[in-house]
Amino acid sequence: MSVAGDTSQTIVVAGGSLAGHTVVAELDRRGFTGDVVWVRGPEGTAPYSRPALSKELIQGKVTRDTIRLPVPERYGLRLRVLDHAVCARLDPDADRVLVTRTAGAGEEWIPFDALFVCTGMRARVPAAFTGLPGVHCLRTLADAERIKERLAGRPRTVVVGAGLIGSEMAASLRSCGLPVELVVQGRLPMEPVFGAELGRFCLDRHHAHGVTTRLGATVTGLSAAGPRGPVTLTYDDGERTSADLVVLGLGAVTSCDWLDGGGLDLSDGLGCDAALRTARPNVFAAGDVANWWHPVFGRRMRVEHWSNASAQARHAVESWSAAQEGREPAPFADVPYFWSDQYGLKYQMVGHAHGHDEVRVERTGADGHPFVTYFRAGRVVAAAGVNAPRAVMRMKARIQSEGMTTQGVYAG
Amino acid sequence: MKITVDRNLCDGNGVCMGIAPDVFDIDDDLTLHIADEIPDDPEVHAQVRQSVTSCPVLALTLVE
Repeated sequence: MSVAGDTSQTIVVAGGSLAGHTVVAELDRRGFTGDVVWVRGPEGTAPYSRPALSKELIQGKVTRDTIRLPVPERYGLRLRVLDHAVCARLDPDADRVLVTRTAGAGEEWIPFDALFVCTGMRARVPAAFTGLPGVHCLRTLADAERIKERLAGRPRTVVVGAGLIGSEMAASLRSCGLPVELVVQGRLPMEPVFGAELGRFCLDRHHAHGVTTRLGATVTGLSAAGPRGPVTLTYDDGERTSADLVVLGLGAVTSCDWLDGGGLDLSDGLGCDAALRTARPNVFAAGDVANWWHPVFGRRMRVEHWSNASAQARHAVESWSAAQEGREPAPFADVPYFWSDQYGLKYQMVGHAHGHDEVRVERTGADGHPFVTYFRAGRVVAAAGVNAPRAVMRMKARIQSEGMTTQGVYAG
Repeated sequence: MKITVDRNLCDGNGVCMGIAPDVFDIDDDLTLHIADEIPDDPEVHAQVRQSVTSCPVLALTLVE
């Protein structure tokens, strides 16, 4: 580890979730002696653990106070924290960002020696579905608390979208004993992530726990009868249903439009090289927003999961430190990993299944849960299992070591 | 270096095992096992620190 920078430097960290939090903690750990300006975003809350929202928080097992991320070890930094504030613009001609207040008025240009972009994503909500009473997305703590507040009235709930958030929400609401209908836009829940075998397994679990599913359906209209509902959903086949609560799990979009005009690649998130450096040498990216070149898979990707955000944040700081000292930074080569909790089962996946051309399905454990290995051109690129952490992590190590020793055979 | 786990919080999500597989092991019942002896290796120590700060349910504590 090296301590880089000097007392005259200013580093701006944009984003107040896990990646931004980890950048600040890492600068602190390295004993950075300059100034850090941390623009934490519009929420006005200290950083918290987002994975808990759709699971433990909705189920009432944790509260906002118990999911706060720990304050870094030293916080000896010269740190200025800006809440209810966002980076609104990057000056194309100078190293400075425009920071605007989302509560109250005011804006200021902040010059920087280095900028870390960790602004993540926001929920994708079609304009026509925005602002309706009884209709909620789930991305932030405030979103989760608003949904939680409605559960006391034991609402009939429709969850729209059956990706990770939608599937976890349906499972959490069933564990609270609430009636749930799950609208699956594709053929099977989580199929775009897991493929058909695990998607079918996931669908069976929803059914076994009393969720009604609507497969291959798209919601074309939503209307609310008043502040306390009910909400009417219209589907593409013309059918309608009524619900007291609608939760939208329609994915998320990257929050980096504020960089438009700043001379950076914004074609899908924020484009970086393998070491998380952008086209501007003193601007780095980490977390959901970072679209980087992955040396193990030989392709660009973005990863929207917990482990990636913290590991990339540490790596981005290392890349900045390397630049300070004139060293060439290493590529960020972590094999992606995520987990999902549904009905007491732990789904885990490692690797990057995109573009796989073959799968192998085995049965594991006493319950014979499916374990899926994904291949591309004859090589393992991903694996996923249910309550099988050892088998999943063995595959993570294998993908990492094979990918790094063969450098690029996964490419194409 | 010693690590403690709050078993009421740990849910076996595997983040620590992904970072420091020589120290953390999770069985198929999702119970976390921590190695009795942590190798005296700076790289492993760094992995352990990362695991503690990366735990999404804040279940791990480091006792240096």
